Amino acid sequence: MGLDRRTFLKAGSTVALAGTAGCTQAPDALWPLTGLPEKPPADFTPPNAESIDLISHVINRLTFGPTPQLRTNIQRLAKREEEAVDQFIQQQLAPDSIDDRRVEHRVRIFETLNSEPIGEFYEFQPSLLREELTRATLMRAVYSKRQLFEVMVRFWSDHFSIDISKGECKWLKPADDRDIIRPHAMGTFSELLTATAKSQAMLTYLDGRENRIRKPSDKPNENYARELLELHTLGIDGGYSQKDIMETARCLSGWRIGRGLFQNGNVQFEPGLHDSRAKTVLGQAIPARKGLEGQKDLDDVLRIVTGHPATARHIATKLCRRFISDDPPALAIDAVAAKFTQTKGAIPDVLRALFHTKAFWNHRGVKFKQPLHLIASALRVTDAETNAGKPLLNFLTRMGHMPFEYPSPDGYPENAEAWQGTLLWRWNFAARLGNGQMAGTRHDRVRLAKRSGGLAKLAAHILGRRPSQEELTAINTSENPIGLLLASPGFQCS
Amino acid sequence: MKEPKAYLHGNGDLQKTLVVVFLRGGADGLALVPAVGDDDYHRLRPRIAIAEKTAIRLDERFGLNPLMSALKPAVEEGALTTVHCVGSEDDTRSHFEAQDLMEHGGRAGGGWLGRFLRFREKASAGALSAVALGTAVPESLRGAPSATAMRSINDFAFSGSNDFVRSLQSLYQKQSGVFGARANDTFRALARLREVHTKDYSPANGAEYSSGRFATDLRLAAQLIKARLGVEAITLDLGGWDSHISQGPAITPNITRLADGLAAFRQDMGAEMKHTTVVVMSEFGRRVTENSVLGTDHGRGGVMFVMGQNGSKGRTIANWPGLARKNLVGPGDLPVTTNYRDVLFPILSEHAPDADMAKVFPDHKPEPA
Repeated sequence: MGLDRRTFLKAGSTVALAGTAGCTQAPDALWPLTGLPEKPPADFTPPNAESIDLISHVINRLTFGPTPQLRTNIQRLAKREEEAVDQFIQQQLAPDSIDDRRVEHRVRIFETLNSEPIGEFYEFQPSLLREELTRATLMRAVYSKRQLFEVMVRFWSDHFSIDISKGECKWLKPADDRDIIRPHAMGTFSELLTATAKSQAMLTYLDGRENRIRKPSDKPNENYARELLELHTLGIDGGYSQKDIMETARCLSGWRIGRGLFQNGNVQFEPGLHDSRAKTVLGQAIPARKGLEGQKDLDDVLRIVTGHPATARHIATKLCRRFISDDPPALAIDAVAAKFTQTKGAIPDVLRALFHTKAFWNHRGVKFKQPLHLIASALRVTDAETNAGKPLLNFLTRMGHMPFEYPSPDGYPENAEAWQGTLLWRWNFAARLGNGQMAGTRHDRVRLAKRSGGLAKLAAHILGRRPSQEELTAINTSENPIGLLLASPGFQCS
Repeated sequence: MKEPKAYLHGNGDLQKTLVVVFLRGGADGLALVPAVGDDDYHRLRPRIAIAEKTAIRLDERFGLNPLMSALKPAVEEGALTTVHCVGSEDDTRSHFEAQDLMEHGGRAGGGWLGRFLRFREKASAGALSAVALGTAVPESLRGAPSATAMRSINDFAFSGSNDFVRSLQSLYQKQSGVFGARANDTFRALARLREVHTKDYSPANGAEYSSGRFATDLRLAAQLIKARLGVEAITLDLGGWDSHISQGPAITPNITRLADGLAAFRQDMGAEMKHTTVVVMSEFGRRVTENSVLGTDHGRGGVMFVMGQNGSKGRTIANWPGLARKNLVGPGDLPVTTNYRDVLFPILSEHAPDADMAKVFPDHKPEPA
């Protein structure tokens, strides 16, 4: 019997790979290469450069990681690679233009999240709400086509961090995610800030609803005012004083969650609980206002802080830390801050400016992935089908990165050091996923290897560059090559 | 001499472990630690009071329930501290509300243990720093930098083979700096973890755990601590304290379970107790007066136990108001004269001097218990 084409290809690839790995005998571990098709499908073309190329870099930073098709989809946008990447960025900056019905269909199973009006959330157990919100978050990170939008939702969820475990936030945070953060994540900063200031969850989390002035001698509750200046806008070194915090708190007094209006998610201004006297915030005078006029104080305060140069700088710095490096160059921050000021905080414009800095293109593969990013990217890169269920949530807990559960208002840290203690669970997660032992999540590793065109190319797809000699040797001798790649140093970074 | 194993954090045997036992359901402080020397106690609980002569003497006023005789050595050797009239500011007398507030450590985001492990000046807690013995991570561990719920040692296993680990080592050997150091720490943790899984565990010093869940959990806790994996906090529950009816039969087995379990753990741990503290707490105590069906209803002040190494630390702390009606609160409950956070505060500060206690217990002004 003659050698059929299948067997021939199998033998051929085995020899080729064994050659690169320096092995004399083909190890059993080459299971994925059995029965390679004649040609890998046209829509799966792994990168072929020694270091992370343009497309891989933009995928790493703007998304939760490459899927098998994404690279080809970007390449098809234009002839020149630079142009294609630019077009991809444009698309991602306009999420509304991207059809995302499939992921919306997927998250529809989380029925609690559709509660309307807001009072309906109270009919559910907090543990169920928390679980469904987290699962939907993970699901969207993995499957949404509006990837940059989802990245920004995570960014703002940490910037305006609300711990779902504090008091009534158990019921209010799911509404905040749906009605406050998501609608404004790619809008303007001032609208987003205003929405968070009037969020029932934020009023609860930072005690804004306790900020009541009934008589002149009452002291305001400063909690929200302080975090508004320190975390949400100017930043800790933003040049405000303790007096500014007090004055801001007085301006923001009187907002509460009215019983009557409770059902529709609005917050209510109660003139009788508001400090109606004149104030000065960051050098700007706010006149005394009687009755319902007093609610204009909030607009004035938010206008003053949004327009403050320290705010532009603070937001720009945080964005550059997220998208460039933990310690971004001042030049990049300057450019992004200038765009923030110029566009009055139009988020897509600010991001576009960031993606056009030299620093953005020069800092490749240096951001240590947060655990949610790691998990989502592993699922995307393996083309996995997942229900985003308990086993994955357990890994998020073990890596200390359950969304909406950071226990203080500053949100999860962005820097690598904060996350490098989680390696054990990263490796464990990778080994288990690679072995196909993650309940509720499956991927077809044989098909994946076939489609990519062999193990070396699969590694290139996973790492965003050609694998090194060490990496090739390691995966060629491993019975769990995908797990090994997902656990490797290269995959921990984006 | 055998060299002591270093902990994974590089601070050697200074690494301490906190074991938190939550008695869910509102454990009756006056059943666990009866005020046998107080006449009013006997008057208000005519049918269910513990006689003074049967109790294990703690001081002039208090004794331990005789069912807790296993803990007599711990009392005598100064390893057990008992706190009475302790609790939280929650006065809803609702299990859910009171547990929620106590586990969060105030109206704050995250749990008190989670914040304790998260907010450190020096290196943050490691990958195996917190273990919840049970099916889910309790609220007290919310926000922890790492938390693992486990029912058995198998839930703590590593999914990769030895070959997998070896290959990983070859891939990580070039990493330097913090990342390289963290990778090295992790390979050491994996080696220890493998030891835990390959060696059968046998309790030391002739300790014998009974077969129930609580005892098994404590046995597992001892195993984890001795394996030096860097476990800083272990939580476990003992439920079934909601004794509205026929209190005696309802909670008798539980009291025995609690005392026997803690005693076996202490014996098993032996000298290792010097870097281990066990805290026992409950969401509230119960009404002073027994009800018509020989039970007690939800109250306020209850008891906490703190078990550590032998020595002078063990004592009985009670800012005791007396049981006259005017000294009781609400429908006739022991007031909370010691806040539970004031019991935890010094323990946490000692376990991790670099913990940011202002973040662990926000809005709480500590007062020495």
